[in-house]
Amino acid sequence: MSALSYKKFEDSDSGALPDKMTIFQDCLQAFNATPVNAKKCRLLLSRLMRLLYSGETFPSQEATTLFFSISKLFQHKSSSLRQMIYLAIKELATISDDVLMVTSSIMKDIQNGDLIFKPNSIRTLSRVLDGSTVHATERIFKNCIVDRNPNVSSAALISSYHLIPVAKDVVKRWTNETQEAVFAQKYFPSNQFNNSSNSSYQDLYTSTPSSTFFTQYHALGLLYILRSHDKMALMKMIQSLSGVNSPLKNSMAIVQLIKYITKIVHDSNDPHLANTLFPKLSNFLKHRSDMVGLEASKAILSSSLFTNEQHATAISTLQDLLSIPRTVTRFAAVRILNRVAMKNPEKVVVCNVELENLISDSNRSIATYAITTLLKTGSAETVDRLIKTISSFMNDISDEFKIVVIDAIKNLSLKFPDKYKSMLVFLSDVLRDDGGFPFKSAVVEALFDMIHFIPESRDSALENLCEFIEDCEFTELAVRILHLLGQEGPKTKNPTLYIRHIYNRVVLENSIVRSAAVSALAKFGLIDDPTIRTSIEILLNRCLCDVDDEVRDRATLALKLLKSKKNTSDSSNIIVSEFIRPSKLYSFPILEQKLALYISKGAFELPFDTSSIPQLSEDEIKAAEYQSKTSVTSTEPTRPTKSNRDSTINHSPANGSNEKNKFSEKDLLQQKYSQEIASIEEFSSHGPLLHSSSIIELTEKETEFVVLCVKHLFKDYLVLQFNVENTLPSIILKMVSVVSIPSNDYYEEDFILPIETLAPEAKGTIYVSFKRPVDEEGFDIIAESFSNTLSFTTHEVDPSTGEVSEEDEGFQDEYQIEDLDLIAGDFIIPSFVGNFSNIWDELSKENENVATFSLNSYNSTDGIQGVIDKLIENLSMMAIEGTRTFENSSNSHLLKLYGKCINGERIAGVIKLASNSKDGVIAKAIIRADSFKLSEVVLNSVA
Amino acid sequence: MADFSLYSINAILILDNEGKRLFAKYYTPIHSTEPAPFPTLKSQLAFESSLFSKTYKLKSDIILFENQVVVYKEISDIIIYIIGNIDENEACLYQVLIGLRDALDVVLRHAIDKKSVQENYDFVCLAIDETCDDGIILETEGSVIASRVSTRPSAETPSLRNIELSEKGVSKLMSFLF
Repeated sequence: MSALSYKKFEDSDSGALPDKMTIFQDCLQAFNATPVNAKKCRLLLSRLMRLLYSGETFPSQEATTLFFSISKLFQHKSSSLRQMIYLAIKELATISDDVLMVTSSIMKDIQNGDLIFKPNSIRTLSRVLDGSTVHATERIFKNCIVDRNPNVSSAALISSYHLIPVAKDVVKRWTNETQEAVFAQKYFPSNQFNNSSNSSYQDLYTSTPSSTFFTQYHALGLLYILRSHDKMALMKMIQSLSGVNSPLKNSMAIVQLIKYITKIVHDSNDPHLANTLFPKLSNFLKHRSDMVGLEASKAILSSSLFTNEQHATAISTLQDLLSIPRTVTRFAAVRILNRVAMKNPEKVVVCNVELENLISDSNRSIATYAITTLLKTGSAETVDRLIKTISSFMNDISDEFKIVVIDAIKNLSLKFPDKYKSMLVFLSDVLRDDGGFPFKSAVVEALFDMIHFIPESRDSALENLCEFIEDCEFTELAVRILHLLGQEGPKTKNPTLYIRHIYNRVVLENSIVRSAAVSALAKFGLIDDPTIRTSIEILLNRCLCDVDDEVRDRATLALKLLKSKKNTSDSSNIIVSEFIRPSKLYSFPILEQKLALYISKGAFELPFDTSSIPQLSEDEIKAAEYQSKTSVTSTEPTRPTKSNRDSTINHSPANGSNEKNKFSEKDLLQQKYSQEIASIEEFSSHGPLLHSSSIIELTEKETEFVVLCVKHLFKDYLVLQFNVENTLPSIILKMVSVVSIPSNDYYEEDFILPIETLAPEAKGTIYVSFKRPVDEEGFDIIAESFSNTLSFTTHEVDPSTGEVSEEDEGFQDEYQIEDLDLIAGDFIIPSFVGNFSNIWDELSKENENVATFSLNSYNSTDGIQGVIDKLIENLSMMAIEGTRTFENSSNSHLLKLYGKCINGERIAGVIKLASNSKDGVIAKAIIRADSFKLSEVVLNSVA
Repeated sequence: MADFSLYSINAILILDNEGKRLFAKYYTPIHSTEPAPFPTLKSQLAFESSLFSKTYKLKSDIILFENQVVVYKEISDIIIYIIGNIDENEACLYQVLIGLRDALDVVLRHAIDKKSVQENYDFVCLAIDETCDDGIILETEGSVIASRVSTRPSAETPSLRNIELSEKGVSKLMSFLF
């Protein structure tokens, strides 16, 4: 019988979809007929399936009618028809009622049915059962799981798996059978491929395996769920399955096993366990099947518990996979490498040659992954060439890919500021290309970053933006660019150029853009040049007749302010300038938080207090932004899902809020400290809080008393804040204080605020205030070391009453805690500077201090990068010009640091780091500052 | 962290060369209460048409699309898609795709095209059912999948015995119900 003759059985089956009602009627008629015509029924069922798989559905009542009539077909023995019946039942079970009625027919088939449809009947059974009927089938399931036929066993395992959500307790009783199935190697019966019912395919088979061992995959998946709460059992399972003589023959089962190993390592967070399990994973790296190698590499690279060398073996496996002809394998390998490069670009550098070959890959996703990875791993020398390569294919790729590339370029521009020229050319080229809003927005964003952080690029980048707004269809972007022009334009050498561009907007655009343009124009009016001011006034006057009231209002206000500036004294001049062009901005996250709080309180008779919100200068904002943009962790997107539209759109705001959170977290902490301190009367005379250090642990975390310390600096005072936690359950501490003795006696103790009573398992805060010393030249940045002792009286708590007995006078005791160093970093606030060499030259050589250190005391296992991180933390200065990340290509590094002292003086440092195996890391530090003494103090705290 | 369940396939689709559905099955674990990712026909069709526009004639086998891994093969005038979770092992999914293709090649007698799929729909949906059971991969070896697909019943003369049996079956069935 051939397909052709079958087709002619009734009218042709091809072409348009059969009519739903016709099929419904035909089915009812044929299924209820006696005798049943198997051939016709299978055809009708096939049409019914076609309807369902095309998205048609039946209302519950009709579906139930159909379901019932299909169940009548069980009377016919034809196994070909039976298989189709099971498929129909499976599909209709979700939309019909009373599906339980076919249970007995199915059970009968499972017990006595033909092998060809027995697995189908088992799989269908799980659709018609519910939580209350599962237990009746327990014996059947157990028998089927241990059946020697892999099809039957797999079907039973899968059915059990489906039933877990409704009957976990019942399925749990099949654990032993499942375990047996994991280890068993089941072979297909000899007649699997020449079964009577499908012998017609026989000549079409090219190869017929004796087994694919897929049962192991299903059994392992089920066993894991059943045992997932028993860690010991899982470990045992992994041990017995992952050896060299592993009984697992199925690649998918091994992939699954690797996933479980990853999970165990991840959950334990134990490097030792990772180390013991590593050999098992590394065995799989060389597995003949790609999927196993990929999964094992992914597993190793996804956890930082594995060592760098272990990561390297996984990378080399991926490197081999990069040149495999199978597209999917290359894709998977480059995707993993891309993810690694987000965090640790230096690890992927070895694959650069292979990655470059992939740039021309016919699969665009692979090419994009390759390029973004290369952009991360590339060194300063390769950047130009890379950008050239990318420009050549930018036109061929979709917007989503372009955004990924642009983001990578943006990060690169911050990393290699001196390559700004080629990147600027690239960005201005792509800005001219056609593209949607997300794409244009990404380009503009990248240009904004360059303007902010690479001062040399400012003028030409601004010009590019001016050109762009001449023909920009996106109001939002035009407004943002106009605002930026207002901010940056007046600082340039030739501001009139921008005025022309801005005024063009007033003439040509919609009211929103016009108002933004008016505000931008007003900022140019502040330039100290009468001709510019006059022309600005003329332009603003023209805006007074605008049709839109917002535009008119802004113009009127700006004019009024500019006029009043001319006439009055200096002090009001500053007010006016502040109004048009504020030098400080509110910290938005805090402002938002406070406003939300204010509204939720509902106490509107009190005006909102803006003074409690910290204001940030432009420099401070830039510093924070730069920090978050260059720091390695925050640039990593949560998921490298590059090629789809949704996630790229979601991706950028998510990342933005991440940065914002980080920024505000630090801010909020500082805010919290100053509020806490302001609320204490004794500190009212100390003035505003200038700087607070990060939290330092003075004890181990597991001791009886846990002490943390924060150093606060005021203009004339130093306050040490000790947070003490009493971890003892039955001891009350009274009069808890810290005796801090400065080792050089520079600092003079002012007063101590002790904790009166510290209840068991409670926390309290002690403040110790010192007067800051000043030497004969009025210099007050003086480092010091404090030795600290916790002193208190202990009182036993009566366990029956929970209180201290009256006669207990307590026991005076002391507790030694670690010393505390006050170092230069505590006086320094990290800040950003666009042009480091300018600042470097400004700070005269006279105030320079130079020394060479051996930094073995840092004892860092991470080599130079570890030292860099510690230096930045200790000195509390900001790494400039992308010198924060160390490139593995050499064994030396140049670190450029900048910061501001709390007294306003500037400090810049250049630290050359070199490492060799014998001496560890050597540093030559050159520090310049506004005063010699400051640079000396800073230099001394390098080591 | 990756997903540890065996539910690794979210959907299997077969579209024609205009992006129209020939076969579409979106899987949701049977007894689970989680909402389906594409609950309505409308959202499914929208997904399919945008997926089609991103893949048709590109022949690049794999794409990340709307937070899912999609592997696909274009064979004459149809495209077969296998859609999995974003963290799914790409090579595993591809193995499934190849297995299904090989199986279809056998059951459709080396003629995988739109016409043949429509005319032999029972073979196609049985083959897919033997490849993936509600999201769980059943088998990836094409010849094994094909061997599980039954051929059509031959024309036959009905016998009365069958009917008698069926009466028994129905009455048994009733007794189970009530």
